[in-house]
Amino acid sequence: MDQPPAPNPQPRRRLMQLHGLEAALFYVLAIMTLFMAVFVVTARVAVHSALFLISTLVNVALLFILLRAEFVAGVQILVYVGGVMVLFLFVIMLVQTRAEEESRVRLYTGQTWPAVIIALLLAVSFYFAMNPAQAAFRPPEGPSVTVAESSERASAGAGSNISKDTQAVGEQLYRQAALPFEIASLLLLVAMVGAVLLARGTKQEKYYE
Amino acid sequence: MISFIMGALAYVSPLLMQAQGPLLKRFEPTLINFLMLSFLLFVVGVAGVLSRRNIIIIFMSIELILNAVNLNLIAFSRYLELNKDALAAKGLAVNPLSGPVFTVFIIVVAAAEAAVGLGIVIAMFRNRETVAIDEIDLLKW
Repeated sequence: MDQPPAPNPQPRRRLMQLHGLEAALFYVLAIMTLFMAVFVVTARVAVHSALFLISTLVNVALLFILLRAEFVAGVQILVYVGGVMVLFLFVIMLVQTRAEEESRVRLYTGQTWPAVIIALLLAVSFYFAMNPAQAAFRPPEGPSVTVAESSERASAGAGSNISKDTQAVGEQLYRQAALPFEIASLLLLVAMVGAVLLARGTKQEKYYE
Repeated sequence: MISFIMGALAYVSPLLMQAQGPLLKRFEPTLINFLMLSFLLFVVGVAGVLSRRNIIIIFMSIELILNAVNLNLIAFSRYLELNKDALAAKGLAVNPLSGPVFTVFIIVVAAAEAAVGLGIVIAMFRNRETVAIDEIDLLKW
């Protein structure tokens, strides 16, 4: 990750700005993500909710690729869509009572209005948090960074178009974050044992006692 | 709703034709747009956690919240990556790769949480025959 020093002594501040097709793609993905997220929360059937959540996660992975984080995008697809969501679907099919598909069954608890109020409060607080900083993120008036410059990280290798993101994240993960990495693997082991213990049936409980 | 959008488009399109460059440039997404998207995802997740009755959908809303945080971290990582030299000139040493590394750990914790949580859901369904959180009130007094 040793980048060559900047050519000029006073490096220019650069905005993280997407151009042209990337900008259009951002808006398409953002709108898709938000709609799918709303459908996750409002769907009546839990299986539909899970499928909408898969769509949301894929959209977020594509946004990660727009941000040149290819490794995290791959991990998102593999772990979330391939692992966690399959687990969710299994549990929904084990547990589904089909009661919710009838229209008289309530979908929401009695605290819908408190939820809406808290969401609005969050929105207001975000506005007041971001408003002072908004000018700093606005595009400059003069000539801005070109597309070739802004996609520098994607083609950081000498003349190659292969992203170095995975290599960089891997180095960082094993150099600076080696101990948390091992702790995370231990956490996954504990979670696996815990899930097996929690989900076993009464027959198996008798067998082990 | 649709007529409103069409009206807005009809109002905006001549402006777009007039001033192609600078006006379109104003709509090019920067860091703030990613932050707004991630915040809206977060709010949708919070609303789902607070209002839904089915405990599995509450778990899915928690996944939405965690994804919003991941998007935030990755966007800031990209921003720092592009501004690393400018910040170093001001005497601020940043490590843009902390974002993806932290995101990987968040994904690990989310997977562990989903496994244990769904195990609890199965155990509870076996005992109580329900997944509605307002019927699971044994510890309420």
